[in-house]
Amino acid sequence: MSLEIQNLHVQIETGEEILHGVDLRVAKGETHALMGPNGSGKSTLANTIMGNPSYEITEGSIVLNGEDLTEADPDVRARAGIFMAFQYPATIPGVSVANFLRMAVNAGREEAIKVKEFGQLLRKNMDMLRIDPQITKRYLNEGFSGGEKKRAEILQLAMLRPEIAVLDETDSGLDVDALRIVSEGVNQLRGPDLGALIITHYTRILSYIRPEFVHIMLDGRIVREGGAELADQLEAEGYEGVRAEVAASAG
Amino acid sequence: MPASADLKASLLEERRAAALEVYEREPVPTWRRSGFWTTSLKKLRLDELEPRRYEPVDSLEGLHPVVAEAIGEPSELGGLLVQRGASTVLSWIEPELAAQGVVLTSLERAVTAHRELVERWYMKRLSEDAGKFAAATAAFWTGGAFVSVPRGVKVEKPLQIVYLIDEPGVAQYAHTLGVVGELAECRIREYDLAPDFEGQALHSGAFELYCGAGSQVKLAHFQDWGAGEVHDISTKKVEIARDALCAWTPIHLGGHLTKQRLDIITAETGSDMRHRGIYFTEGTEHLDLFTTDLKEQHHTNGDTVWKGALTGSSRASYEGLIEIVRGAQESHTYLQTHSMLLSPKAKADAIPSLIVETDNVSASHGGTVGELDDESIFYMQTRGLSRAQAVRILVEGYFEEVVQALDDPSLEDLVRRTIATKLEAAEDQVVEFIAERG
Repeated sequence: MSLEIQNLHVQIETGEEILHGVDLRVAKGETHALMGPNGSGKSTLANTIMGNPSYEITEGSIVLNGEDLTEADPDVRARAGIFMAFQYPATIPGVSVANFLRMAVNAGREEAIKVKEFGQLLRKNMDMLRIDPQITKRYLNEGFSGGEKKRAEILQLAMLRPEIAVLDETDSGLDVDALRIVSEGVNQLRGPDLGALIITHYTRILSYIRPEFVHIMLDGRIVREGGAELADQLEAEGYEGVRAEVAASAG
Repeated sequence: MPASADLKASLLEERRAAALEVYEREPVPTWRRSGFWTTSLKKLRLDELEPRRYEPVDSLEGLHPVVAEAIGEPSELGGLLVQRGASTVLSWIEPELAAQGVVLTSLERAVTAHRELVERWYMKRLSEDAGKFAAATAAFWTGGAFVSVPRGVKVEKPLQIVYLIDEPGVAQYAHTLGVVGELAECRIREYDLAPDFEGQALHSGAFELYCGAGSQVKLAHFQDWGAGEVHDISTKKVEIARDALCAWTPIHLGGHLTKQRLDIITAETGSDMRHRGIYFTEGTEHLDLFTTDLKEQHHTNGDTVWKGALTGSSRASYEGLIEIVRGAQESHTYLQTHSMLLSPKAKADAIPSLIVETDNVSASHGGTVGELDDESIFYMQTRGLSRAQAVRILVEGYFEEVVQALDDPSLEDLVRRTIATKLEAAEDQVVEFIAERG
């Protein structure tokens, strides 16, 4: 059971190619970190995995559990078991958090969830993420602080229980306390049923969520892969160090 | 004082006569504004329409079901008045309210039964010399509605007025007069309803409401003229006295051609208003709204938000004017209008404007015409919701702020239901529009 990305080439509306052949395999039960500097293509990869129509796949494939999702609509991918926590989640005026969560949970089910069961599930997950229950009455992300938005994203992850979760810069804009709470939440959701791809610029979140695999992306390509120690090496050398090393080995 | 009473009755007749003169003099108007906007009545066959009379009924069951469906459970109302075509066909008020002096009756009847109030307030803010249709209404109105809440009386249940047109060929000249006494509190609803039919009809309406000093009034208009060719040409005015607050929410959810002027006048110091409006146009509907937030005295407040959505090849124009006259310093008011295009063939105008003749005021206004946000649709799809669901949730959410401002569960439900039905009818074209746009 895994998400397999092969030779992925992606361009944006201007015709510029952002990803130049990315291969990545995330299996259930594994936690991967995808690291790279700004503009390296990390968010493009996340959005392409999820099917954002602003990004066009010109070559390669995205397959989940043997099902080819390369051309699938985002909602099909979501119902197949892929989730993305957004770096900048959309604000949905007029739709309360509770209402939105219920609709999202029901979208992935044959039969609508019972009110009581939904309430219990919601309370349990909000406790875990230490979210103020009042937030469920507010409109989704409207007037939310950066930390509240990120917690609301992880709350959705917890409620929807996908097979593969892509966390796009979930750590950005969080203070240390918020980062710890969000990370603890993600750690509780880790296990044999979840494959996670944590996308980040910084190594900071990786001291809370220890990945088994680390991939470093530069200029639309994955240039280094390894275990958790690769993140430590990156911390010591920085992206410029990696870039120089890659250039040297290529030369 | 029989002599003076006769004199007053004849004054009312004099106004009808004056109106008739204007009506005969004035041509059928065409309203033009810069750009593409024209509201024309050239397809209206006025000669073929008549103010049709109907017999009274005992209950809602005697009327087209569109009325019962809209107003819900009659026991939740404080009173109900229904005008069908040219006739008042149903009118009642709860005995406890009547005992407190609350009145809901036809204006025709009020002219004699509540002569003093009618004489004092009738057409205080309306003019018979404001174009052909204002004159027609003033000259030809029959039935009509009169609502009055005496000083200090609090009415919890809505006082409900319905204007019903249930067949083509009808010209309905409607006049509602409302008078809310000092420190009184009440909720007034006026619904303009028609089932779907084929053919033309006219609702030429006048509405005036006077909110007395310190009163608190919730006023809602709900318009759904169905799929027939109902032309609605109306003027509505609300005057708010010292320290009173009126929350006025007009909801426009259907009408072949609608041309309306809505004025809210904060007329005395400390008067305040909340104005929230919704429109949803579909098919070939044409909606032309002009609202005025008129501040006549110092220390008055206002807050206006209008939201609209358009499908099909419909046209909707909202023009909102804030006017702060000399002497109305220390007034604060805001106006926002948003229109959402859900079809490539629909056209919307959102025009906020401002006239300020004094200083030490704050007034801000803004208008947008936009489309559904692609990133929001994508976001919702990533949660497993289909594109059609995402569109529905986003549009309903967009209106929700205004719907909740109604603070009236049965009407909120009616508005949500009607919008949902319209969205469902337009679902394929909206989803196609979103897909093609990208």
